[in-house]
Amino acid sequence: MQIYLPIAELSVNLFFLIGIGGAVGFLSGLFGVGGGFLLTPLLIFSGVPASVAVASVTGQVVAASTSGALSHYRRGGIDMHLAMYLVLSGIVGAFGGVAAFSILRALGQLDLVIALGFLLLLGSVGTLMMIESVNAIVKQQRGVVVRERMPHQHNWVHGLPMRVRFKKSRLYISVLPVLIIGLIIGFLGSLLGVGGGFIMVPALVYLLRVPGSVVIGTSLLQVVAMMAATTVLHAVQSQSVDILLAFCLMIGGVAGAQFGASANKYLRGEQLRALLAILVLAVAIRFGLSLVLTPADVFSMAVFGPGGAR
Amino acid sequence: MRWLVLALVTVLLAISPASAERLVSQLSTDFIEITSSYDGERITFFGSIEPEAGAEQRFVEGPFHVVIVVTGPAQDRVARQKTRQFGIWLNTDQVVFEEFPSFFQVLSSGELLNITSPTTLAVENILPEAQPSISTEAGWWRSSVFGRELVRLMTQKGFFGLNESGVRFLSTSAYVARLTLPSDAPPGSYLASTYVFKNGQIVARRAEGFAVRKTGFERFLAVSASQQPFAYGLVAVALALFTGWLGGVIFKR
Repeated sequence: MQIYLPIAELSVNLFFLIGIGGAVGFLSGLFGVGGGFLLTPLLIFSGVPASVAVASVTGQVVAASTSGALSHYRRGGIDMHLAMYLVLSGIVGAFGGVAAFSILRALGQLDLVIALGFLLLLGSVGTLMMIESVNAIVKQQRGVVVRERMPHQHNWVHGLPMRVRFKKSRLYISVLPVLIIGLIIGFLGSLLGVGGGFIMVPALVYLLRVPGSVVIGTSLLQVVAMMAATTVLHAVQSQSVDILLAFCLMIGGVAGAQFGASANKYLRGEQLRALLAILVLAVAIRFGLSLVLTPADVFSMAVFGPGGAR
Repeated sequence: MRWLVLALVTVLLAISPASAERLVSQLSTDFIEITSSYDGERITFFGSIEPEAGAEQRFVEGPFHVVIVVTGPAQDRVARQKTRQFGIWLNTDQVVFEEFPSFFQVLSSGELLNITSPTTLAVENILPEAQPSISTEAGWWRSSVFGRELVRLMTQKGFFGLNESGVRFLSTSAYVARLTLPSDAPPGSYLASTYVFKNGQIVARRAEGFAVRKTGFERFLAVSASQQPFAYGLVAVALALFTGWLGGVIFKR
């Protein structure tokens, strides 16, 4: 069954959209990530213009993260004070990201920057996750008791000025690294159409030493708020948010996430992280190949629409 | 007296030549609606070549050839070229073509070069290859190179094309032609120009328009997105929050 997408101005199979939404939703429920980093590339590879894909997936990420954020909120798993700093700096970053998006689109370099961004981001995060989870699995098999890193251990980040007390996280740290993390994730997230949970969580855990009980909830709330702002910014700036496309992806995504979350129980933490690392690396390699291999056609074309070339 | 009659007849013949044809034609639709299930549309062109109104002759004498040129709304298009820099492929050069037709399909009843001369084709702007104009800022050479590539890309997408067996004659004077409009052909007003050729000369022509428009909900969404972008964005966010919340409630997570 074909469905016409009024903003993308093309007709796509409805079951294909709900299907990739569901598959990515399943993986995002399984691994506890937003799934934007898979969905945006999948849409681009299946012919949706990059600008429409990025802008519409931001809407989908909001939906995918909302139910998780709500359930963490009910359980008291969100540090609102910390989330506020992250969200405010994230929105500032998103303004920068959406502006960069428009400029790059007019210059004809948007696809390149999206491909490079995914390659570097996913490549580095995937490699780190791979090393970490392989080490954990090897130690597990040798019978070494893995000691989790303690939340109160200090590092160089804790020596910075402008300290603020975050009661829920039991932290007394400088706001500077918090704001910088928010800013970077806001910029990259709005430019690449990803929620950034897969950078946010490691950053909160390893840099700020936020305790595990509030990490996921706080990161999810930040993703919801920042991506909501990004969706509005994209709608105003590039007018490329396709509500129909986003809605089809949401339906699949929200349903798939529930099944993913239940499948989550059958896998161990290290195994999950190793699988996620493989997935992330696969997407990174796909983008890397598209940059390095000789393209089938060195010429391409685009239309100048509202807000610049598509 | 006899000379006078002969002269009069000659003058009359010159005023209303014996071979005066006119074209009567009709499109199967003049308004294509884009709805949620829109997946392209097929348009049929019917036509008949008849003697000019008021002419004495009862029938027309062929053989005729018919060429139909369908043009879509003009857009500003850019053609880009990738080259290898520092080991990766990136867009390094681009040429903008303003007012470039978004759609250009030519249907004809035979090979164009057998129908008429290249000069006529060029003067009437019938060939898809002739569409890119020379851009002053890019210069002649780059304009022609990028223009040719743009036409090739448009042809690959099915927006440009030439079908030399697209027009079929039902009798010596009546024809029918079919054109499939792809689903991603842009909305707007389209122009179908029909030319009737006889012995390489245009003997009749006619232009008809049809519109491709989003209707109903699709139109509402597209208009809101461009007229009320802020409200549109807020609605998109509200929809996302609601869907996410609903999913959580349904599955009791």
